[in-house]
Amino acid sequence: MKILNSLLVLAALSTSATAGDWLSWRGPYQNGVSTEHYKNGRLSDTPAWTYDSRGRGTPVICEGKVFSWGYRGEKDKLVEMLTCMDAKSGKVLWEHQFRDFLSDTVYDRYTIGAPAVDPATKRVYLGTHYGLFMCFDFEGKKLWEIDMMEDLGRMSFPNSRVGTAVIEGDLAILHCISSNWGADGPAADRFYAFDKMTGELVWWSLPGVSPPVDSSFSLPVFETRDGKRVFYAGTGCGNVVCVNARNGKPLWRWQACKNGVNATVLLRNGKLISVHGDENVDTSEKGRMAAITLPEKLMPPAPGAENNVLDPKVEVWRNPIGSSNGSPVLVGDRIYVLDDTGVMNAVNADTGVIEWTLKMATANVHASAIFVDGLLYVPQLDGRLAVVKPGDKSGEIVQEVKLSGQCIGAPAVANGQLYIHTTDKFYVFAITNEGITEDAVPAPVIPAAGKPAALQIIPAEVVLTPGEKKTFRVRAIDAAGFVTGDVSNVKWESFIPPTAKVKSTLDAKFNDAGELVAEATAKRSAGAFKATAEGGIFGTIRGRVLQNLPIVENFNDIELNEDQPTEKIKFAYPPLPWIGARFKFDVRELEGEKVFAKSFDRILFQRGVTFIAPSNLSNYTMQADVLTDGSARVKSDIGLINQRYMIVLRGNANQLEVNSNLERLKQTVPFKMIANKWYTLKTRVDANADGSGVVKGKVWDRTTPEPEAWTIEAKVDMVHKNGSPGIFGFTPLNQKRVYLDNLSVIPNK
Amino acid sequence: MSVAASAADWPQWGGNNTRNMVSSEKNLPVEFSPGTKLGPKAAPKIAGRLRPDAQEANASTAEDIDMSTTKNCAWVAKLGSQTYGSPIVADGRVYVGTNNESPRNPKHIGDRGIVMCFEEKTGKFLWQLVSPKMGTGKVNDWEYLGICASPTIVGNRAYVPTNRCQIVCLDVEGMANGNQGFQDEAKFMASPGPDGKPVEVEPGPTDADIIWVYDMYKELGIFQHNATSGYPLVVGDKVFVPTCNGVDWTHTNIPAPNAPSFIMLNYETGELLGEMDHVVSERVLHCSWSSPTFAEVNKKPQIVFAAGDGWVYGMAPETKKDAEGLDIIKEYWRYDANPPEYRKDEKGEARKYAEYDGPSELIATPVVYEGLVYVPIGQDPEHGEGVGMFSCIDPTKEGDLSGKAVWTFKGIERSISTPAIKDGIVYAPDYTGRLFALDAKTGKELWKFDTKGHIWGSPLVVDGKIYLGNEEGELFILAEGKELKELGSIEFPSPVMGTPVAANGVLYLTTHTHLYAFKQGATGGAQ
Repeated sequence: MKILNSLLVLAALSTSATAGDWLSWRGPYQNGVSTEHYKNGRLSDTPAWTYDSRGRGTPVICEGKVFSWGYRGEKDKLVEMLTCMDAKSGKVLWEHQFRDFLSDTVYDRYTIGAPAVDPATKRVYLGTHYGLFMCFDFEGKKLWEIDMMEDLGRMSFPNSRVGTAVIEGDLAILHCISSNWGADGPAADRFYAFDKMTGELVWWSLPGVSPPVDSSFSLPVFETRDGKRVFYAGTGCGNVVCVNARNGKPLWRWQACKNGVNATVLLRNGKLISVHGDENVDTSEKGRMAAITLPEKLMPPAPGAENNVLDPKVEVWRNPIGSSNGSPVLVGDRIYVLDDTGVMNAVNADTGVIEWTLKMATANVHASAIFVDGLLYVPQLDGRLAVVKPGDKSGEIVQEVKLSGQCIGAPAVANGQLYIHTTDKFYVFAITNEGITEDAVPAPVIPAAGKPAALQIIPAEVVLTPGEKKTFRVRAIDAAGFVTGDVSNVKWESFIPPTAKVKSTLDAKFNDAGELVAEATAKRSAGAFKATAEGGIFGTIRGRVLQNLPIVENFNDIELNEDQPTEKIKFAYPPLPWIGARFKFDVRELEGEKVFAKSFDRILFQRGVTFIAPSNLSNYTMQADVLTDGSARVKSDIGLINQRYMIVLRGNANQLEVNSNLERLKQTVPFKMIANKWYTLKTRVDANADGSGVVKGKVWDRTTPEPEAWTIEAKVDMVHKNGSPGIFGFTPLNQKRVYLDNLSVIPNK
Repeated sequence: MSVAASAADWPQWGGNNTRNMVSSEKNLPVEFSPGTKLGPKAAPKIAGRLRPDAQEANASTAEDIDMSTTKNCAWVAKLGSQTYGSPIVADGRVYVGTNNESPRNPKHIGDRGIVMCFEEKTGKFLWQLVSPKMGTGKVNDWEYLGICASPTIVGNRAYVPTNRCQIVCLDVEGMANGNQGFQDEAKFMASPGPDGKPVEVEPGPTDADIIWVYDMYKELGIFQHNATSGYPLVVGDKVFVPTCNGVDWTHTNIPAPNAPSFIMLNYETGELLGEMDHVVSERVLHCSWSSPTFAEVNKKPQIVFAAGDGWVYGMAPETKKDAEGLDIIKEYWRYDANPPEYRKDEKGEARKYAEYDGPSELIATPVVYEGLVYVPIGQDPEHGEGVGMFSCIDPTKEGDLSGKAVWTFKGIERSISTPAIKDGIVYAPDYTGRLFALDAKTGKELWKFDTKGHIWGSPLVVDGKIYLGNEEGELFILAEGKELKELGSIEFPSPVMGTPVAANGVLYLTTHTHLYAFKQGATGGAQ
């Protein structure tokens, strides 16, 4: 092994706050407390400036720039925006607009989370509910974009909670429920760490359990413990987890409840405090705030175990406060949290005793308070921003400012200004003062790297198409995950993890230059490679070879080698590299023909989507034969996904529909689909020079010639220019199966 | 019969088919206390507490009530962790829909829909219906909601919707008199085991005896949204139920727009006798969770259904064949319970559903009082507060009655509570937390009272008083009449989602976790 740079790679202290900055969702201490103090400070009753942007999250502020994630417009015109504004004047410096696609977001539940800033590299990061994870520089140039839905299987839910990315060292980390491929096919709350400069995947981690009951937007909270950089976060599976932030290794989980834990945890004196609003594990009460003692020693899970499970005895105290989404604030030995019934609770952080309560509203949905210079700023569902002066025995509302819309996010404070989004507007208020002083935020202690113990290979997961090659950066990390230096001269070999349920290899080879090459004849495949360096330290990557266009698939070459015991038929699992396909679809025979079918194995997957090629494809025509089982009364839905648009035959509604998030785009034409009859479905998406486009769909009886005219042409003002080809099947309550055959994806001429 | 007879049972939602939340019971306690739980120190280490019966459980585990701390309380029974059903009292038994988070049977551990049946005098657990989850997640069968209604009791039969989009008919005696009717209880109760395959559980003495099952999704292609709800209405030999057909995850797509939202079954066999035209399903806003009501209008029976499209329908319990040969229930009238301005804005654009000022469906049950129908609009509480309207409708008219209500009242916000109407006064709460007293003839507001907590349940008017609970676990007691007079409030340790019920001298109340039987002079633990 040759260590190219044996010196410590400088760990950038990315979260150390500069004066007047609020760089991430819950502020400089990760707990909703501001560093600022004012001489005779008072929140102005009128805004310093406002901006035409609706929002349900929190802005971030860095070096006089405000980065706000908002949305604007109605129905098919609604866009999300990342806006950079001058903090003093409100002048818009730049703005990017995004259009939702294929998500389940309902009721305009957009922007539930926050952007994040890395002050060290002057970059701003934003993840969206439809899976775009993007990085911009401070001038608004997009540096990279990851499509987590189409390439990593990020899932979407009607509550649309997103949260935020967090910056740690050279990583940008975020979590979501994903259903990817292979061992990562089952839905779970996974954490993904990307190289913050390049967007390449460095590690991913599943510290909780699958399947989750819920999703979670709990913000990872960092500290240094037992010589490691770790984070703690709530998950959609009801756990609070501890993960090594540098290598993604799960360190422990503690089951806090049965549903999701959304609130951000608090850290205090070796204890972790978490709150949730749902079903408990050990009582039938709903909601709980509890403190646990953090393990001093952080050991990796025993071989074969997925994670260490903390004994319930770690619990120090509990109280019955329930907060489903709102996060608590920690000020000294006092916790403040607005519960689900709109009550502000003041809790002793050492004992859990509720010291006083203040009824403020009938409910709280997502909002979290912040604490600034002795006052709590509490956003209310009905649009009031309340200022509460917390005392020893009671809290008092000392000021209220009525805003337009609902306050669902959390405020941010920087340099004597308070920023708050409502579902109507973005507001900035001055906290008038005669001088600002600021507490220093201690920089995190980053331990020095020890001796190399493993290889970290970037990117950790790749997609190749035949004829393509990929290069990797290989670096050594110590046992705690800290980078010790870059490594060359590693030995690559195909690798099947001993735990793999599907023994599969990637049809690609490493050449002498260390590049992974898929030959022009490479087959659709998925698998892993292991790199071993001098001294035997190793690391793995995994990848998929997906087909180039044109893709033509009649499923006839797929061997039906599995037994379906209840139906007593032979079938095959869907192609391994297709995202999220397993247990949702299978290949089987219908009337003597091999066809692609919606599977009934798990009713949880009564609706399924699979993406069959990379997300960067564009300008293609997709076609397939489709059929629904059923009767005149009950049928199912089958469709194709072309460039982020779904073109679907709705069996019961007897319609051909074009959609992409149904609140944003839903256009239909009547089409009577008769059960057990094959139709041919064809689609293409045409983009115009002005950014608009047309989504075209055509359907006809398979036994008749293709008609000239498109059956539906849906005009869109802001067309998606690329996207994975995909297949959609929805068999309501798994009553009537749908089938697909003779699939083709052909480049447009 | 407009109200339940004195010293009588409360065998269904609202006491009888008019659904009016008024009882003629007397001498119910005003001063009572739910007591305190035994406390966390007695907490079991893991989930899966077993409660052979209330008496034993009360003496042993943490979540059960220390009966010495109660007042005027005859008994307390442990329910699951979420209880939306209200108590039903008939022939010496009390029934409540709940979930399985305090499992009564070690053979059934994990999330299930449950109906528990208790002995009326003692609170002793007798038997339970166990309904596995569908496994679809939130969209059809939301985790831990349990069975959201309680049964309707007619004779020796109990009719209840399960969490699986089914209507079941049960033998009120459970297995005590042997297994009657349906014999596949073992299969019915099968939940997936570790390998995902259903594990059958042979029924035991504390399992329900199912007479018949009607699968609405298998028979009709229903796609119920989030939960199955609605208390069945039994008129003669017919059972009327909503199907809960609704939207999917996207809250825009309606997977089964041509399936009925309301059906009529044979009460002995569960056979489908008729269905409503699918107009409600085609335009459903969310889903249909309301319970149907009976009215005698012009000496003819009429079924009133408040639907998921925001309309109220008056129908005959009879059918005619449509072109496809389906038996369609005959309609007398329909009424849009939303005023035009909730449907469309000033520019004529459709208002967005679930927004504060948008249209609503109906979840409350229509009440029939002195020949008129009373009902408010409302939404799934998850959608929060919003504009509402209370309507008084004349069911003697026919056709589209939209805009032709006897009166409407827009001072109320969204409501999922069924009103109580007595002596010309309508007592109607809204989800926001206020209780309104309205003149039943004119809709004029007489008074309102703010409980400051969300209200899911309905008021009970009994013995000159109004009992009303809220999500914050407070039970308010007010004086009946034209003047607002608060008599007191009692705090419970868990949300009160259900409706208080009076039967045979006892006031029953469910919180999410417990069923309380309050009786003047009773001392708990003496059972």
